[in-house]
Amino acid sequence: MNSKLRLLLVFSILLASTTLPILYTYIVTLNEGLPGRIVMYRLYRALYTILAGTVLATSGCILQASLRNPLVDHYILGTGSGALFAVYATLLVLDHVTLWIISLAAAIGGLSALAVTILIAESISGSDIAYVLSGIGVTSLFSGLSVLLLYYVSSRYGYASLMLTGTFIQSRLENLPYTLLAAILVVLGYVVLAKRLNVIMLGDDHAAQLGVDPGLTRLLSSIIAGVSASIIVSQFGVIGFLGLVTPHTARFLLKTSDNRLVIPLAMALGSLLLFTTDTLSRSLVARVVGEVPAGAVISAIGAPFFLVLLVRRFRGGFT
Amino acid sequence: MISIKSLSVRYKRSGVVALRDVSIDIPSNKVTCILGPNASGKTTLLKAIAQLISYDGVVEVNGRDARGIISELRRMLSYSSTLEELDLLGITVLDVLVYSRYPASRGFFTSEEDLRRVSEVCEMLGLSDLANRRLGELSAGELQRVVLAAALVKDPKVLLLDEPDGHLDVYSKTWLSSFLREISSRVTIVLSTHDPLFASMTCDYYVVLSRGRVVFTGFHDELLRDTSVLERVYNVSFTSISIGGLRVLIPLNQSAYRGKLVRQ
Repeated sequence: MNSKLRLLLVFSILLASTTLPILYTYIVTLNEGLPGRIVMYRLYRALYTILAGTVLATSGCILQASLRNPLVDHYILGTGSGALFAVYATLLVLDHVTLWIISLAAAIGGLSALAVTILIAESISGSDIAYVLSGIGVTSLFSGLSVLLLYYVSSRYGYASLMLTGTFIQSRLENLPYTLLAAILVVLGYVVLAKRLNVIMLGDDHAAQLGVDPGLTRLLSSIIAGVSASIIVSQFGVIGFLGLVTPHTARFLLKTSDNRLVIPLAMALGSLLLFTTDTLSRSLVARVVGEVPAGAVISAIGAPFFLVLLVRRFRGGFT
Repeated sequence: MISIKSLSVRYKRSGVVALRDVSIDIPSNKVTCILGPNASGKTTLLKAIAQLISYDGVVEVNGRDARGIISELRRMLSYSSTLEELDLLGITVLDVLVYSRYPASRGFFTSEEDLRRVSEVCEMLGLSDLANRRLGELSAGELQRVVLAAALVKDPKVLLLDEPDGHLDVYSKTWLSSFLREISSRVTIVLSTHDPLFASMTCDYYVVLSRGRVVFTGFHDELLRDTSVLERVYNVSFTSISIGGLRVLIPLNQSAYRGKLVRQ
């Protein structure tokens, strides 16, 4: 019970700290008498960072638990670059693209990349390190191909190059249904999977004798985590490491691995981190050097975190 | 009561036949031991009873085919072997026990009833002080106790334990032995082990496997009366000695001890 109260406390503080600045922004801009379009733009932008943070953090939690692997998120497993490649390929091939087609292509591309990573990792021992190595290979492949395609795509769609590192500069009303869809997907995933993922973390035999089908749960987890993250990529580009950092931080704060508690806290942390990063890079950094994509800032924070995890993995344990 | 009729298991990938035409009855509320050298089919037999692998033949639990009562079986039967590489995601002892309540736990969050049973089992196995430790911080012996506790939290009627005495020191083995004897009045226990001494300290009924076939079934006295079955299977000599009214098996390697020990 104690941990639930603690969770509630942390969650509400985080919720307040993300929602209050938005309200503040809204009120201040109204007072400044700015045109409505700017106000709406800022609101969308704030909303999307929060939703995207929620989705990517949950996707990371689900992937880590279902694959029993602390070193992964959608970016490390190649889903991010696979989805981006699919987006560029669609922009190149089709004359008339809608966000709907782009999202669908991203989901297919992201899932395919994830499947390739898992297949290769399982064929080379299936250890947590095998997943990282296989993921790096797949990520490099699709990143490289994406950059190649970008030469042709960016002449027609200027904003496409921004998607290499995720940015919210293109926040518009049209993004809302897809971003919401991804958010609903991860919330559903949380409700359906959280308890089963707990059991899966104890090993396949243990899960099976408790009545949880490991293969089915892993398949469902990969689809939910892969599709939701890919949709975010299709709207705002690749934001790496957020899904890696937030589950670990949530587990550390809660002193438990229980996904029923870890996932909600990771959601709150993810949205807070992304919103803060985006707001700072838009307001503070932009004054000095121009706007920096939020995805790049998150990577700059997340990659060292990943390296620390890697070193601790080889020094033995995560204690 | 568990009744096994002409059970055969062939592993599809390797084509290896792990069990051939096994027919045994496992007595209720007793400790049954499956003995046999490496690769004799002990783990396969336990997994088949737990419905974790596919097999030919029939496993009956209380007179009903186990295949037809899977969800009931998941509540009443626990299978446990080792927990591997679990320290990676910060899983604590308490986490393992709460998660292992899965088939018996109702609702999305952990209920009061779940917590009550978990703390009861912690108390029983002396794990209360370790509850918030991460699995990576435990010794092999402590981990083994966690495995046993995880099997007990759903309050099963049947307990299948694959080498519960692995990695245990002498003190822990004797403790485990008396613990299993104590709970066997309420739970049917089937365990596999490599250690004939531990087996003879703990078990009432014995099934001896050799290359996937049953070569002996019988109660304690029957096994110890004639150790020739075990000697053939293990290729080792056995003697039985009586300590405090309990007859136990001691293995002796004849070639190693020839001339140094006089056997009675």
